[in-house]
Amino acid sequence: MKGNVIKYEQDNIDTDVILPGTYLKIHDYSELAKHAMEGLDPNFHSKVKEGDFIVAGRNFGCGSSREHAPIALAHSGIKAVLALSFARIFYRNAVDGAFLLPIEIDEDTLKDISEGDELEINIDNNEIKNLTKNKKYQMKPFSELIGKIIAAGGLFKFNP
Amino acid sequence: MPKTLFEKIWDSHVVAEEKNGPSLLYIDRHLVHEVTSPQAFEGLRLNKRKVRRPDLTIATEDHNVPTSDRSLPIVDQISSIQIKTLEKNCKDFGIQLFGIGSPNQGIVHVIGPQLGITLPGSTIVCGDSHTSTQGAFGALAFGIGTSEVEHVLATQTLWMEKLKPFEIKVEGKRKNPFAVTAKDIILSIIKRIGTAGGTGTVIEYRGQTISDLTVEQRMTVCNMSIEAGARAGLIAPDEKTFDYIRGKKFTPKNFEDLVDDWRENLKTDSNARFDKTFSLDAKEIAPQVSWGTNPAMVSDVTERIPFPEDFAKDDLNQKNAAEKALQYMDLKPGTPITDIYVDRVFIGSCTNARLEDLIESSKVVKGKKVSPKVRAMVVPGSQMVKKQAEEMGIDKIFKDANFEWRESGCSMCLGMNPDILGPGERCASTSNRNFEGRQGVGGRTHLVSPVMAAAAAIKGHFVDVREMDVN
Repeated sequence: MKGNVIKYEQDNIDTDVILPGTYLKIHDYSELAKHAMEGLDPNFHSKVKEGDFIVAGRNFGCGSSREHAPIALAHSGIKAVLALSFARIFYRNAVDGAFLLPIEIDEDTLKDISEGDELEINIDNNEIKNLTKNKKYQMKPFSELIGKIIAAGGLFKFNP
Repeated sequence: MPKTLFEKIWDSHVVAEEKNGPSLLYIDRHLVHEVTSPQAFEGLRLNKRKVRRPDLTIATEDHNVPTSDRSLPIVDQISSIQIKTLEKNCKDFGIQLFGIGSPNQGIVHVIGPQLGITLPGSTIVCGDSHTSTQGAFGALAFGIGTSEVEHVLATQTLWMEKLKPFEIKVEGKRKNPFAVTAKDIILSIIKRIGTAGGTGTVIEYRGQTISDLTVEQRMTVCNMSIEAGARAGLIAPDEKTFDYIRGKKFTPKNFEDLVDDWRENLKTDSNARFDKTFSLDAKEIAPQVSWGTNPAMVSDVTERIPFPEDFAKDDLNQKNAAEKALQYMDLKPGTPITDIYVDRVFIGSCTNARLEDLIESSKVVKGKKVSPKVRAMVVPGSQMVKKQAEEMGIDKIFKDANFEWRESGCSMCLGMNPDILGPGERCASTSNRNFEGRQGVGGRTHLVSPVMAAAAAIKGHFVDVREMDVN
């Protein structure tokens, strides 16, 4: 899959800024999407395009177990989050509902990717191509369970 | 082979296992609330599935309920719909609900133990990250997302990858256990290991200091395990644990037989191996106050706001994060913590709204008045806590001091019900998260213990509660 980068270099982007608590009452996913990342970047909704990737630092998605967080990102058009590491509940939520791909990258890759870069992600060979910079990076392979849930298309289609 | 407590509980709940792969884990108890369950029940309906074990599933309404007069209707229509939806789902699927109006209503992690639902050695899940609270009983208790909620409703199991056991040892006697509380212990731990220090692990808290804690204090410690990135926190059960559960509404009939078994088996073997170990001396712990926007950005009350440059030697990202946090919090480096004035005080949440929290903080408040510039509220964790406190006259101590005494719920912890901070308001809060906007857009949260919050309410700014006159 191909997409452009929206980059937030900081660590600890928590679920309260990904989707503030006041919106947890909303059940309409397109409505939720309007508030994605609102706590961190009020312009996110106006700049995000279908197919975009978020690139971020360590411990992305820390905090609450709200599945609304990956749902809001996915319904904004985000297909993958590339981060140095993920909080585990967010990581699992992202794939359980087949909302988006949580991809772990290393520090050099994080530094090299810039806002707006076009990336092509291939999870079959764990490769990320930076089409803008004409470079290649490796992603950390998914664990067995996460890889299988992704391949199946979500937790309810997964059958080991 | 010697095993940790976590491994014993895990192994005894594995239903099926892939070689070197994921395990299908049996779930003993499933707690449900109004916010993370609607889509899960919808999923069951769409696929014409039933709840596999309604008898092991218990629901309450806590996150979005107002904490004002319960005889009035809920003004917020969307909240009202979410609550009615849970009521309909529980009725349709045969699940016991302790909703608004029930004497057993309350924050899910407060009522689980109070009702005797939370049992040592069991697996407990809930669509809420602070399910880790219930690990204080020697249960493997952890938060899950809504897809997993649906999976547990449908199958009473979960696919999991085995977590890693992480030992955190706290040894020694606290010099002043009234002022240096369980909250200060866990904040001190998170400050040292960081918000991702426990990622992929289950923390077992061990050592003399932990054994000395009451069961409710242990719940405060386990509650914030998730703030260190761990999925769960655990403490081996002992006689205090068994006494807490004995005679509750759902305590099993064969309880004493179970206790014999738990006493014998629910402990880490003496030479079991942990993947990670961290030690802390209780004598080093002072009352804590968070100054930043994550639960690792914490200082002793006697310290000053740190300079972002102090972090640069470790990590530029940490320096930038500290700068950004201080900007959001409107704090200047070098300011003594005790010079920080607050607008609001919140004593509540699944971290610190149990009976003992209210008793201890009332000792600071007794015979004094809340600073005229501060709005202070106490939100008991459950209707049972509220009733017990009222029977002891605790409510009167708070009300006489001009605290608001409210109905039970998550309240001002998470900014999704009417109890929120206004933009720029600064709050001494006994809750668990100080993220940007957590308690309301632009709100500024300082995490503290209940006695520190009570002291800040009286003085109008943070004070070292060790120096307060206490009744």
